[in-house]
Amino acid sequence: MRPVLLQGHERALTQIRYNRDGDIIFSTAKDQHICAWYAHNGERLGTYHGHQGALWTVDVDPTSTLLASGAADNTVRLWDIRTGKCLKVWDFNTAVKRVEFTEDGSQLLAVTEQRMGFLGTIVVFDINLDVDGPQSDERSMTITCEESKATVAGWSYLSKYIIAGHEDGSISQYDAKTGEQLDNVQVHEGLITDLQWAPDRTYFITASKDKTAKLVNARDLEVMKTYVTDTPLNSASITPKKDFVILGGGQAAMDVTTTSARQGKFEARFYHKIFEDEIGRVKGHFGPLNTVAVDPQGKGYASGSEDGYVRVHQFDKGYFDFTYEVERQAKAAAAAQQQQQ
Amino acid sequence: MSKVANRPDWADDEDLDDSVDALPPQTTTTNKDGTKTIVLWSFNEDGKKVKTTRRIRFTTHKEVVNPRVAERKTWDKFGLSAKDGKGPAADTTTVGENIIFRPSTNWRKDAKEEKPEVGSIKDQLKNKTVKCRICSGEHFTSRCPFKDTMAPVGEEGAADVAGGAADGPEQPGGLGAGKSSYVPPHMRGAAAGAGDRMGGGKYERDDLATLRVTNVSEMAEEQELRDMFERFGRVTRVFLAKDRETGMAKGFAFISFAERTDAAKACEKMDGYGFKHLILRVEFAKKAA
Repeated sequence: MRPVLLQGHERALTQIRYNRDGDIIFSTAKDQHICAWYAHNGERLGTYHGHQGALWTVDVDPTSTLLASGAADNTVRLWDIRTGKCLKVWDFNTAVKRVEFTEDGSQLLAVTEQRMGFLGTIVVFDINLDVDGPQSDERSMTITCEESKATVAGWSYLSKYIIAGHEDGSISQYDAKTGEQLDNVQVHEGLITDLQWAPDRTYFITASKDKTAKLVNARDLEVMKTYVTDTPLNSASITPKKDFVILGGGQAAMDVTTTSARQGKFEARFYHKIFEDEIGRVKGHFGPLNTVAVDPQGKGYASGSEDGYVRVHQFDKGYFDFTYEVERQAKAAAAAQQQQQ
Repeated sequence: MSKVANRPDWADDEDLDDSVDALPPQTTTTNKDGTKTIVLWSFNEDGKKVKTTRRIRFTTHKEVVNPRVAERKTWDKFGLSAKDGKGPAADTTTVGENIIFRPSTNWRKDAKEEKPEVGSIKDQLKNKTVKCRICSGEHFTSRCPFKDTMAPVGEEGAADVAGGAADGPEQPGGLGAGKSSYVPPHMRGAAAGAGDRMGGGKYERDDLATLRVTNVSEMAEEQELRDMFERFGRVTRVFLAKDRETGMAKGFAFISFAERTDAAKACEKMDGYGFKHLILRVEFAKKAA
């Protein structure tokens, strides 16, 4: 596969998101604009200007009309994807580290940083899906994290729960209607850096600084799979179509200058989702991978790194053909059985 | 005659063009195999005419996308990209090197191939314990607490300390059989001979695992050669002969490996390898006469 390099940011990438159809990629970096790109050829659709600080997070609604972003200037902004116009600004006391729309796009959650005497919170807004319509100022819900601040959060299937990953490595489950904490499980030993959903949102993958990624069930927070690596992880993603997960990480950014590129482990690692084996790596970046995102259609993936580049990869035949021996056997057995019938 | 002038054949092409200032128009011809040949003319910085011939094969790649995606492809650009034309802009989008990615359960095997050798050296060293030459303790001689008061075992002083026991012709190691202070190398006994062999042996080993690489490109760099040969084992030395004035490679290099087996493998694999438009010739270095 021949990656396409996107050079729209001058600083380290913080998050990449595909829209639901997988044709547009949104990227945020520590410089102050969001870039939108066509996934098929890497053409830049446009940039969104208005934030006054490093951007930490971005999310796109399921219809690809609205874009939400959170930044270190203590605001969440809502954008019209097509024109690049800022539709709404919500102010907070501290930086916003994560935003995510619900599956239907009717609600938006934002995770705020714990700083300057303010506790970390998870805030929920009701979103008006009409681009020209007014957006409410009111927060429909606020969850305060008293013990350990939340670093990442997301909506589970049917927007039933809000799942949050914390600084101390635990995962919380909140009722999405009332904000009541239902469960809290210690899953990781280090800060949770990323949380991404499976296509049906019944389970998710977490990446942590403790060098592992885990597949966790959203309903009971049971750890189903663990992927062990040799480097702190910044991002993890589940691939549709094939049962793989992609992990990204590497030497912490501050230590990068003291290590060579080969030792820095700046590779995207592919693990088999079920068998937990590492099945390959993709090289290319000159810095640790800060974010990995997979095309929801399963055709490719994009990785963003501390080096300021986004690399968009389209999977080729070898990727789709790869199966385990047991998978092939099972397939052959199923075919034989069908023939008998 | 006039016929020829009207329809110049290809051989006259350049001569005719020299006399005409205007550039010939771009021509596009369709070849039999379905490709198109586009001939473009332009002037370069020196005012010389440049003919660019491109052969292009057009393949229609049809992709069915849902109407939402198709509609989004027609959107106008905005923000920093507002002024960009259709298609990817060169300043933001580039195509990277091709990456071969084949998922496999034993993808690590290739990477591991090199490691056992490193391990074998480690294994060799594992059983070797540090031994002091003065007191035979488990520390380096320089760290020995008796360093200032005793001479190394087997030397004169040690022999004195040990008393008469070590005295005699079979006194181990050292410089010679006797107690005299200096024995010229050629007069030394068998023990000293070992030292000699060691010196000679060092070069010998070096030579045995050294490859001579010829037909190396002028543009080659030592690091490139090192990278190429390191695949086969630990490379202890890379020497690329360079011209003193121009700094260009002279066309030959020596690569020393830690292990002769690695060198043999590299010799076999790299002989005839294409590197920078030249075909490498790799052989074992001949011993200097």
